[in-house]
Amino acid sequence: MNCWMFPGQPLRHDQSFPAMPDGEGILSLCEAVAGFNPSAWRGDGQIESENIRLQIYGTAFSLCRSRFLKMSGQQPDLVLEHSMGIYAALAACGCISERDALEMTARVGRTLLKMSEKVRYALGCIIGLECAHVEAAAANNGVYVANYNTSSHFLLAGERSKIMSAVEECAASGAFSLSVFDCDAPLHTPLIAEVADELKNIFSDYIYIEPSVTLLDHIDHQPLTASKIPGFLLDELLLPVWWQRSYLAARNLGAKSFVEVGAGDALKKFNRWVDSENMP
Amino acid sequence: MSDELIAKVKQMIIDSLRIEGMSSDEIETDAPLFGEGLGLDSIDALQLVVAMEKEFGVVVPDAATGSKVFASVRSMADYISENKK
Repeated sequence: MNCWMFPGQPLRHDQSFPAMPDGEGILSLCEAVAGFNPSAWRGDGQIESENIRLQIYGTAFSLCRSRFLKMSGQQPDLVLEHSMGIYAALAACGCISERDALEMTARVGRTLLKMSEKVRYALGCIIGLECAHVEAAAANNGVYVANYNTSSHFLLAGERSKIMSAVEECAASGAFSLSVFDCDAPLHTPLIAEVADELKNIFSDYIYIEPSVTLLDHIDHQPLTASKIPGFLLDELLLPVWWQRSYLAARNLGAKSFVEVGAGDALKKFNRWVDSENMP
Repeated sequence: MSDELIAKVKQMIIDSLRIEGMSSDEIETDAPLFGEGLGLDSIDALQLVVAMEKEFGVVVPDAATGSKVFASVRSMADYISENKK
């Protein structure tokens, strides 16, 4: 069984846009829908933040990869998604159009950006520390664990000053590697409730078709149906991502090969870590 | 520094990082592993820490030490030679 994995927003723009047959079609859609060309990293002034650019870049990259794989005769038997990778995943499963995926990404990004008007937010990437220590550091400093990627890879989200304190505590507890990234909003935390009504309105603007292949959500690791999608799109921004559980759920369903359909290879690396702990 | 240890380190990198389509001969002994070289990152570094401990019984305690140890295959082999019990 072949599983396609759609990664979330890249943390950096460090990969050139893939040159693929018909990739120009996606880039034209980006310009038309979002006013931004991720290939040239150029917008017409409509893109207000680097995070929104990264979000559009991530979705567009995944859509291009998905098109390319399908054009070369490949199809998934199962689809996993991580964070904002859900928008491209929905398009790949035929639930929404590519245009809607890009538009939704840009609209969500702009709504999240409003949160940064009052508070400066950041993400803290913690590698090589046990979950209990990371959760304690989050609780002690008033931030949240937003991504449980593996037993040793976590993302914290919250106010920037609090993230810095939490990261310092993780360092003192023996974390192997730490880094902090500025962000517009604390994704995958209850703090997103501040813009929940607006997000809900965005998701209610689209029509969702039943997935053409099984698409597992990253909260309950159950197949998404068309009727569940709008609720999930909101919930997933308020709740943490549990990547390890998603991967193991796919394995239990019989997935043997995994293809990362997007920028970078973080998900493949998470899987490699999970395998090293769970397989003989 | 023995050629045998250098070869073992290269094979450990390939196996632990599941690098496909590359043989140990293709990894340059003195080339940087991060950034321009093999393009490894912090996730890879932690995987190498675990592999080094498992295969050679050598501990890399933190990222600061790791950045020196994982500079190249040769620096990894040097660290293993110096710290192997």
